[in-house]
Amino acid sequence: MIGGRSYYTLIASLPALPTRFDVDRCPITWPRLEDRLRLLEPEDHAMLSQLIDFLAWDRQPLERTDAEMIARYDTLMKKITHPVIRGLVDDWINLRTIVSALRRRRLGEGSPPGIGCWTDTIRRWWSQPQFGLQTRFPWIEELDRLMASNSTRQAERLILSVHWSKWSREASEHHFSFEAVLLYVARWSLVHRWTSQNAVAGRERFENTLSKVLENHVQLAN
Amino acid sequence: MDVFILALGWLGIFAPTALGAIGSIIGCARAGQAACGAMLDVDGGYGRFVGLSALPSSQMIYGIVVMFSLNREVTVTSAPALFAIGVLAGLALMFSAIYQGACCASAINSSKSKPEIFGLSAAPAAIVEGFAVFAFVFALVLSGGIPS
Repeated sequence: MIGGRSYYTLIASLPALPTRFDVDRCPITWPRLEDRLRLLEPEDHAMLSQLIDFLAWDRQPLERTDAEMIARYDTLMKKITHPVIRGLVDDWINLRTIVSALRRRRLGEGSPPGIGCWTDTIRRWWSQPQFGLQTRFPWIEELDRLMASNSTRQAERLILSVHWSKWSREASEHHFSFEAVLLYVARWSLVHRWTSQNAVAGRERFENTLSKVLENHVQLAN
Repeated sequence: MDVFILALGWLGIFAPTALGAIGSIIGCARAGQAACGAMLDVDGGYGRFVGLSALPSSQMIYGIVVMFSLNREVTVTSAPALFAIGVLAGLALMFSAIYQGACCASAINSSKSKPEIFGLSAAPAAIVEGFAVFAFVFALVLSGGIPS
C-alpha cells in the first residue's frame, strides 16, 4: 500500500463495473475509457497497451491461418513482461485452446496446434471426454454439452463467466494500483464483448423485422 | 554520550508533529486524489468527497498537542522517556493517517456510485481514527509522568 505506483484519481474516475458481466449496457464507452487511461504514467500506459494489443489479437479475421495467429501471438508474448498481464493472457489463451480442442474433436479433426500450457496435456489425453482436465476446469463438461447442443450463446456466456469470476476475485485484492487498472480494463472488455454481441443481435433482429415488414408491404402492393 | 541522549530527547519532542504531518500529507493526498477522480465520474455531491478527504488531517493536530505536552527541559533523565513516547506516538499517528487516507479513498470510490452507503463506507476511516485517538490520549497521560 505504501510502496508502488498508485492511481487514486484514475480508479476513482472510472464508473463501477456491474456485479455481473451480462448486462445490457457497458458502464463506460471505449473512447471515454481510453481518455481516462491517459492518467497513467507513460511506462504503465505502454504496458497496458500490451493487454489492449492482446485483446485486439483475440479478435482475428476468419481468413487468418493458425500458423499466422500463433506467430502473432508469440511476437506479442515476447513484449509482455508484467505478471498480471501474462496471467490474464494465459487465462484467456488456455480457455480458447480448450474451446478449440472441443470444437475440433466434434468436427473429427486432430488436436489443435494451440498455444498455452495445456496444449500438450490435451494432445496426450485427446481420447478422454474432457482431456483429463475436468478436475482443474470443472466447467469443461458443461461447455462440451452446450457446444454439442449448438447453444453458442450459452457457451459464450459460460466462457465469459469463467473469466469474470476469476478476474473479479483477483480485482478484489487490488485497490488503486496499476494491477487494479489492468483488471478493470480486462473485466470491462468482458462486459463490452457481451454488450457488443447484444448490439449485433439487436441489429439482426431489427433487420429481420424490417425485411419482413418490407416483404408484407410488397405483397400488399401487389 | 550525554549529547546523543539529549538529541534523542529533542527528537522525541518533535517526532509526533513531524510524523503526524507526514502521515496527514500522504493520507490527505491519497483521499484527495480519489475525490478528484470521483468528481470526473459523478455530477454532484462533490463537497462531501472533499470533506471526507480532509479526515486524515486530524493526526497532525494530535501530533502538535502531544508535542506541546512533551515540550520541557531536556535532561539525561527525561530524554529517554521523551524519545520513546514521542517517536512511538508519532509513528502511530503517521500510520493511522496513511491508512485512514486509503480508507477514505475507498469510501469515496464506493459511495460515488452508491450515495446511500456514504455514511457506512466512512465507518472504517472512523475506526482507524479511534486508534489514533488512543495513541494520542495515552501519550498525553504518560507525558505527565516523565521525570524531570
